[in-house]
Amino acid sequence: MLVIYGILFATIPDKASAALKSSSNIFLNILMPLSLVFAFMLILNLLLKPVHIVKFLGTKSSIKGFLLSATAGIISMGPIYAWYPLLKELREKGAGLFPIAVFLYCRAVKPFLLPIMISYFGWQYVIILTVLTVLGSIAIGYFLSILIEVKDAS
Amino acid sequence: MKIVISAEGTDLEAKVAHKFGTSQYFVIVDLDSNDFEAVPNPGASGQRGAGMQAVVLAISKDAKAVLTGYCSPATCSQLKANGIEVLTGLSGTVRDVMEKYKESSLQKRMEVGAKPETSGSQVNKVALAQAFKSSAKQFVNMLPILVGVVLLIGLFNIFIPKDFLASIFSGNLALDALWGVCFGSILAGNSINSYVIGGDLSNHGVSLFAVTAIIITWVTVGLVQLPAEIAALGKKFALLRNALCFTISIPIAILTVAILNII
Repeated sequence: MLVIYGILFATIPDKASAALKSSSNIFLNILMPLSLVFAFMLILNLLLKPVHIVKFLGTKSSIKGFLLSATAGIISMGPIYAWYPLLKELREKGAGLFPIAVFLYCRAVKPFLLPIMISYFGWQYVIILTVLTVLGSIAIGYFLSILIEVKDAS
Repeated sequence: MKIVISAEGTDLEAKVAHKFGTSQYFVIVDLDSNDFEAVPNPGASGQRGAGMQAVVLAISKDAKAVLTGYCSPATCSQLKANGIEVLTGLSGTVRDVMEKYKESSLQKRMEVGAKPETSGSQVNKVALAQAFKSSAKQFVNMLPILVGVVLLIGLFNIFIPKDFLASIFSGNLALDALWGVCFGSILAGNSINSYVIGGDLSNHGVSLFAVTAIIITWVTVGLVQLPAEIAALGKKFALLRNALCFTISIPIAILTVAILNII
């Protein structure tokens, strides 16, 4: 990206400068929410450990299992590929498809990034999307369990 | 009572492996029945999160103690936080170590803060420093891509004519959402980037249906990481899950905006 900007500054400095200014404005707009993001990350890291999240996913009972899997997805941090080995381990130990599907879908809800999302779209939008995402995870988990079980039975 | 011993082999005559997190095997011994089993360490190759996988394994085996040569402070604290005693500085064969442990002589000499921590997080300086370090690492890891995205948006704002976006996102509710879902499924990474890109697209007049679809599928559908998901959870699960997430994201996007408009 820096190389592209370098070339543009050498060839069409006016437009390159305008692009940089546009980017700077975006940075200024997200600076405050970004500092809140760091604060949220700190709180989550302080209070939660990956082991707690793994324990959440191992819960068997249906409603409690859903709530804990959804919570685990919501509070989980880091890239998804870092979670695959743990999910594989849980699956091999008999964890159901439903909690894993719920966990993966609920990762779309990121509490520590909410300041950024609210700054762009407003809190009403964020609440609606969050609720629908969690409800959507139930549908995904349900259909996935049914479809795979039907396939396995046939 | 079960104990986990890091080992270089699969039997009681194997040598105790020096590093717990990257040990080739774990020999799990039931001290009551003297039965044992050897389990390959999923994190033996030393990839990221190896120690964590070993912790999960010890917990899942309901181990009460871990016996090893060396255990990193982070892994050690995770084990202790889950009530697992950690004994380090051990060498010799698995059998030797096990016998010594049984005799309880090791317990007295080499115990490293054996008392498990109470549940709930005790906010102390060490924990705060660790949390700060982890958060700073996560934050710094997130920044380069975010900076790149913002710089790209700057270029996009200046060089891409607004007519171009209007030609893709025509204002048709279902089509816009479909384009958004396709766009979000291809792209991946930290979802903060989807908010920044979505916010900018929205400023350019792209409908909120499309933007919402991008935000949802950015995390829930992952074409880029599909091979990794297949490897971890199986082809059937990964393909069906991504297909279902792709499909359901369209109604969720439409419902979100519809409810927002009603409010």
